[in-house]
Amino acid sequence: MSSPFGDLVLRTDEARRQFDSQPVLLDAVANGMSVERYRAFLLELYHVVWHFNPITAAAACRIPDSLREVRYFLYEHMHEEMGHELWVLNDLEAVGVPRAVAEAHRPGPYTLGMTGYNYWTVEHRHPAAVLGMLYTLEVVASVYGGPFSSAMRESLLLDGDNGISFISSHTTMDSEHIADLREIVNKINDPVAMEAMVEAAELNFHHFGRLFATLP
Amino acid sequence: MTPSDQRAIEAILGRPYRTLRLEWNAELAMLRVRTGVRPIQCYTLAAMTELQFCFDDVASYPGVVRHLVMSSDVPSVFNFGGDLALFVLLARAGDVDSLRMYGRKCIDLIWWMETADSRGVHTVAMLQGDALGGGLEAALSFHKIIAERNVQAGFPEVLFNLFPGMGAWNFTIRKSGFAVANDMVLSGRLYSAEELLQRGLVDMVVDTGEGEAAMLQLVRGVDPRHRGTLAALKARRIAARIDYADLERIVDDWAHSAVQLTDRDLRLMERLARAQVRKVGGADDGAIEEIKRIELEAAWQAAGSRIGPSSPTTQSLN
Repeated sequence: MSSPFGDLVLRTDEARRQFDSQPVLLDAVANGMSVERYRAFLLELYHVVWHFNPITAAAACRIPDSLREVRYFLYEHMHEEMGHELWVLNDLEAVGVPRAVAEAHRPGPYTLGMTGYNYWTVEHRHPAAVLGMLYTLEVVASVYGGPFSSAMRESLLLDGDNGISFISSHTTMDSEHIADLREIVNKINDPVAMEAMVEAAELNFHHFGRLFATLP
Repeated sequence: MTPSDQRAIEAILGRPYRTLRLEWNAELAMLRVRTGVRPIQCYTLAAMTELQFCFDDVASYPGVVRHLVMSSDVPSVFNFGGDLALFVLLARAGDVDSLRMYGRKCIDLIWWMETADSRGVHTVAMLQGDALGGGLEAALSFHKIIAERNVQAGFPEVLFNLFPGMGAWNFTIRKSGFAVANDMVLSGRLYSAEELLQRGLVDMVVDTGEGEAAMLQLVRGVDPRHRGTLAALKARRIAARIDYADLERIVDDWAHSAVQLTDRDLRLMERLARAQVRKVGGADDGAIEEIKRIELEAAWQAAGSRIGPSSPTTQSLN
């Protein structure tokens, strides 16, 4: 692949395949999951989504002027994602988890590892690493989110998007985002930034997959 | 076998693979290549890279491998073709270049098979399970195809507004003529092993479970006439030419078509991917059944649009 986005796809393809080979994910995409497991998943997802904008902000404030367009892209992205953690809370309430319980939930080790790594890499490795995180989350949402939300709707007999509003809406939203992400990644011609993006995408695929695999 | 042949075989078999299982039959100088991509048996980028390594290794030691036989390690599936999750990702990203790169990796493998006679290798594809889209395209590039009776195969791409872009037209026209290619590619229908045989797309249909014995019999039959067979196959290649540049042009068109897929088309693709996963999970119905459901829905929709509100039929019904 010649373009930077193509390189990102190619170099992280095995990590993506490892992610989508998780038996729990395979089963969830095909058949949905029990309400207990779905609640456990949403509780972890809440923390992933909560940290999304703070991590992106940490990256944006470190992006050098040579990558100004990336910084502006991140501003827009943060604006679009603002408040989306509340959608997850609404979904949790729809499947029987009160807001106070969700907010008090202590995330599991893979959620902590993933968010902690994402803060560390944008601060200490390269701020463009945030695009690797974005890539993973948008691939997960746009490629697997649709079948997963359909399977959840069927298995839990949910009414419309009630209980799956975050995943369902991000399937469509992130489909558009991934085209924007390709454009911005293709503007980065810096091997150090590329290495950081690849590592971040691999780690996020790995930890997100383990997050799924270790759901109770 | 000479010591240098022995070293060559050790080199070919010695490479560590994650998606391939290689086996050497010294009596027939036959390399068995069994593919096993988990959880879904399809052409992932990694699987194609490993296949290319394997074929390049064979080409590095001319005259050592006389027969190459490919089959699947996954029960009931030869190959489901393209990596649908990757297609959805790249199509949504509008990434023509990466789709083109994927397609070119596919046709490079197909081209190796097409030109295998020039490397002194006779090739056999053994279908013991279903072959869809790129899975069937790959099989068609082998010199001989044996299919077990339970096999179903076809090019379902048109059902989600795409077309098979890695040699389907070229190889189907060569083997079965334009009318069959037209029917197969444009209908998206699936065919039984017997129907494939009637159309000349496969060379032999055997009872389920008899593929291995039939393959050995076929290879033993060809082996004494190996040189003449390859010379004839080379001549066949000249008589019914398939051009790499044409394959490339079709891949380019395929990549451009893929990025124009609508959300509905991509959802259908996702449905198929979900069905493939269901089968892996042990469900009775999988991709084949899902394709049949999609075909049926399309037929109903077509019938519905023919019986539109202003049509004479509807008026008479009213």
